[in-house]
Amino acid sequence: MASIDTPVRDRGAAVEPKARPAVVVTGARTHFRRFTPFQRWVHFFIMISFSTLVLTGMPLKYSDKAWAQSWMGVIGGVENAGMIHRFAAMIMVACGICMVGLFLKILIQYKGRYWGPGTMVPTWQDYRDLKAMVSWFIGRSPRPHLQLDRYAYYEKGEFWAASGGCSIMIVTGAILWYPQTAARVLPGIVINFALVNHSGGALLAMGFVVVFWHFFHAHLRPEAFPMDKAMYAGGLPLEEYAHERPVEYERLVKEGKLDGMLIAPLSERGLKYQNVLWWVITGFALFLWAVFCIFVVWVTFNWITGF
Amino acid sequence: MSVRRAVLVVLGAALLLLTAATAASAITFTIPTGKTDRCLQCHGKPGLGTVNVNGVEKSLTIDTDAWHQSMHSRMDCTACHAGFEGRDHTPDETKGWYRQAKLTACSDCHSSEFKMYDQSFHGNLVMSEGSTKAPACGDCHGSHGIIDPTTQKFRATIPQVCGRCHGDKESTYLDTYHGKSWQLGDLSRAVCTDCHGYHKILPQSNPASTISKQNVVATCGKCHPNANSRFSSFMVHVDRSSPRSSFWVWLMEMNHALLIGVLFTLGGLHCVLYFYRGLREGMYRRGKH
Repeated sequence: MASIDTPVRDRGAAVEPKARPAVVVTGARTHFRRFTPFQRWVHFFIMISFSTLVLTGMPLKYSDKAWAQSWMGVIGGVENAGMIHRFAAMIMVACGICMVGLFLKILIQYKGRYWGPGTMVPTWQDYRDLKAMVSWFIGRSPRPHLQLDRYAYYEKGEFWAASGGCSIMIVTGAILWYPQTAARVLPGIVINFALVNHSGGALLAMGFVVVFWHFFHAHLRPEAFPMDKAMYAGGLPLEEYAHERPVEYERLVKEGKLDGMLIAPLSERGLKYQNVLWWVITGFALFLWAVFCIFVVWVTFNWITGF
Repeated sequence: MSVRRAVLVVLGAALLLLTAATAASAITFTIPTGKTDRCLQCHGKPGLGTVNVNGVEKSLTIDTDAWHQSMHSRMDCTACHAGFEGRDHTPDETKGWYRQAKLTACSDCHSSEFKMYDQSFHGNLVMSEGSTKAPACGDCHGSHGIIDPTTQKFRATIPQVCGRCHGDKESTYLDTYHGKSWQLGDLSRAVCTDCHGYHKILPQSNPASTISKQNVVATCGKCHPNANSRFSSFMVHVDRSSPRSSFWVWLMEMNHALLIGVLFTLGGLHCVLYFYRGLREGMYRRGKH
């Protein structure tokens, strides 16, 4: 039986966490639920559709490059790639609808409480966290132990970048899919805008959200390496969670809501799959990270020399 | 005349014929009977030199393989190069002759195409204004290696053919979905001629043009059934990198460039520094799961 008095594994924290109230966890539910199965499925489908969209869309953006032309041949030509791209886009749209549903759920169930404890909206605390991290990055202070609530600043940043980017990509993509229909109400220049936005937004999404943000924070961040397992397992050991997100933990304890957030850890079989997945996905992430980094450097180089 | 003598005469004549035939076959080896082959004896050889036509150096060597594969390979050279005698000739002698071949050689057989061309912007420049830069038949179709313009092989070359003079239009075309598909090997999307026409190409200001205000919706409508005038106001040839092409599109493009530049720099710094600190403080070694 795990209790919160079990020593928290030291992950290089320079600042000791505050003393926490002792809580006895009953039964086998030793893990804190970070994501619901619904959220994890949405994430899975976003992952699949996003990768597909990138793989079928990027050769069109860089159609003058030899790699794009040969890759387009591999995936069966423009017509085929377009079909796959639109199919993946529909999955992405479905995920977007799920997220809107979540937004509406908060509106109805929590009476529109988008702000307050555990919010996804950026707060001054996020700014202070970022400042503390940057100060550590440049060597001006020891590593801070962030007093995180439910979401860290980098998770909020990613959520809003992904939501905003996804909305723009869906709207512009729909215009490019049905240009004649769009032109019934909108002027033709909107199709030009859609082209610029869809193409620029794709690079932005791929580079920023995936390379410089998501893959880093979910896989390559020192605390997460090789993979932040919460999205696969649904949760993480309570001690780790209490160490990582002390603010939310303390609030839940005070409100007596902690018990409702506890889940059982993965089964033996689930753990076995998880270990395989860790290294497969993290290996893939590392590989993609290397490729994307080269790609982004190459794009930046082209962009600079283009002037 | 005795029988013996008659036999001798016949045998002698046969021998003579045989010798003549052998001699003739030996001659065809050096002096071909077909006019084309006779020309290619010299003009099929590489390094024959060049001739200056309208300020452009053109090789006197004909690509023999391309010629044999071309639509006109069964015709004689003189069918187009009319009035030309198969004898020794100097470049000076044939100077004015290239222009003539360039125009009337084609119209002799392709009169309806030539009539359309004659009414076109290009045709007007060449026929009425005597322009030496505007294209005549051969500038788009080629001369000796003419291939069937209804084939995919020809279609695949169209943007490059037009781009030889309209380079800026080619590059902006390649920045659209049509052009990108074409570049990726899909020839079913629109190329230059699908919108602008081919023999009778007219400027947008001419009401008879395929892209004039009166006709452009119908032209788009060939592939986009529900096209309306707003749809047709989509700017195909817009250079994103220039504010003079379309200010708003340029502004949006610059906005993206700025956003990508700033976010990639900041995000990249955040990751790289985080990674560096993590390595230095041994967090990756201790953080094993």
